[in-house]
Amino acid sequence: MSKEEQNNHDETNQNPQEPTISRRYFLAGSACLSVATAVSLSPLLNAEEVPSSEDLIQKHYKELSTEEKKEIFAKLESEINQQYGVTAKISDPAPLDGVEFAYVLNLGRCIGCRKCVYACMDENNQSRSPQKQYIRVMKMKKGTINLETSSHDYPEKEASSKDHFYMPVACQQCREPKCIEVCPVKATWKEKDGIVVVDYNWCIGCRYCEAACPYHARRFNFAKPQIPKQEINPDMGYLSNRPRYMGVMEKCTFCLHKTRRGEYPSCMEVCPTGSRKFGNIRDPESEVRKIIEQERVFVLKQEVGTLPKFYYTFAK
Amino acid sequence: MGNNGKKTHFEQGEFWKKVILPGTVILLLFFIFWGDSKPPIPSPVPLNAEWYSPETARGEILVNTVMPGNCFICHSVQIPDPTTISPQFAHITVKLEHGVNDRCYNCHHIYDRDSLAGDGESKISFATPERLCARCHGIIVRDWKDGTHGLRQGGWLVKGGKDPVNFTCTECHDPHTPQFKYMHAAPAPTWPEKTLRQSRQSDDDPKSAFLTESIQERF
Repeated sequence: MSKEEQNNHDETNQNPQEPTISRRYFLAGSACLSVATAVSLSPLLNAEEVPSSEDLIQKHYKELSTEEKKEIFAKLESEINQQYGVTAKISDPAPLDGVEFAYVLNLGRCIGCRKCVYACMDENNQSRSPQKQYIRVMKMKKGTINLETSSHDYPEKEASSKDHFYMPVACQQCREPKCIEVCPVKATWKEKDGIVVVDYNWCIGCRYCEAACPYHARRFNFAKPQIPKQEINPDMGYLSNRPRYMGVMEKCTFCLHKTRRGEYPSCMEVCPTGSRKFGNIRDPESEVRKIIEQERVFVLKQEVGTLPKFYYTFAK
Repeated sequence: MGNNGKKTHFEQGEFWKKVILPGTVILLLFFIFWGDSKPPIPSPVPLNAEWYSPETARGEILVNTVMPGNCFICHSVQIPDPTTISPQFAHITVKLEHGVNDRCYNCHHIYDRDSLAGDGESKISFATPERLCARCHGIIVRDWKDGTHGLRQGGWLVKGGKDPVNFTCTECHDPHTPQFKYMHAAPAPTWPEKTLRQSRQSDDDPKSAFLTESIQERF
């Protein structure tokens, strides 16, 4: 040891411009650094969702053949069974021909009871903790639609106030969706019936779409979604309400696993005042079409040019 | 380090002693004790079924479903008075707050307990209350027939889908006090505070009042 130090000392004296590091300090330092790196990376060992090799080579949803879809759905079903102990059925109904979904909400009737919010959570297997909700009910003073000063965390006793009206805002299913334009990996797109969907297995979680959406309609899973086992809805759609992963975006899909079978979305079925109306805008006999023809409807943030298919009205 | 060959501030090995080693130890301590100090995510709480059931808001029909007793014990003896305003005796629980429509026999048939009053002497069955309501609220009933008024369940696509479930007038509105009663609302979201739109920025602050007034002045 002393020899080594001596050598080092000699070297230092010989070449003062190039100070060398002794082996001892080098080893000590590198050992410390490597331990620190290992400790700082150790949380990765506890990572809950490590993708399997099959997940990594899975193709984009649009490139999947029917057989591949079947395999993937079976795999997802077994994963869900393992994770939640629920026998789920993942379906993937195709968009119907000649159908374009639209929504009309009568603000004159909405009482801000937030039943739609929780029915949506129940139907769409949304994370209970941390809480995720697609619908935000904005409480606004009567006289103007002022989103800047609205609140959506009003306590339940402030619902149905006579001085306010309540504007539930969820995904507006735009005809010109800004969220799909910014997606760098095309993990979100607009379906033929006008519903904007996300492939949770393709999303990389960059949150560009969340920033691009003028309605703050997209939600990001910062943590692994937690749902009580008894509350899992076993009727799942691949593009809609199957359990999400940590680190992916999610959004309202008009309950496409239900609506593409001809049913109403959940938020509409629970609305006690009937302010929500849903239907096929291309069908001249449909409810939404009649309201749009008879009443004065407006869309939210018309000036941003997203052409939403979610209309608001102040009908009686 | 030094260009002129002098001994620098850090002598040989001192850089390691004074910077790297203590730094690494501090880093280690930081990662061990504070690195994973995020607050734990609380375990999920099941949703209350009342929060997403429409029944809690439209239970009005239950008020009037059962009227105990035999109607004829009283109504065969008493001669009906068409100007009767307040519900009496057995019907004391009924509160009539239907605007200007404040007489019992405007809607109930005066000689038949099991029917509602139609035009003239005609009768309307209790099963089709919308025919009675349409005598005054025609536009609403038209909208209801179109499907644009009131709650609907089931399916939008009749063919191949679920059967649509429609609700008649009295299944949501209490005909005696028809103004909608708001019973139970669901609680506010429990999101992280920074993602909530706080009430303090809400419509009570001066900026909002200014905006509201200035917009109202324009119209």
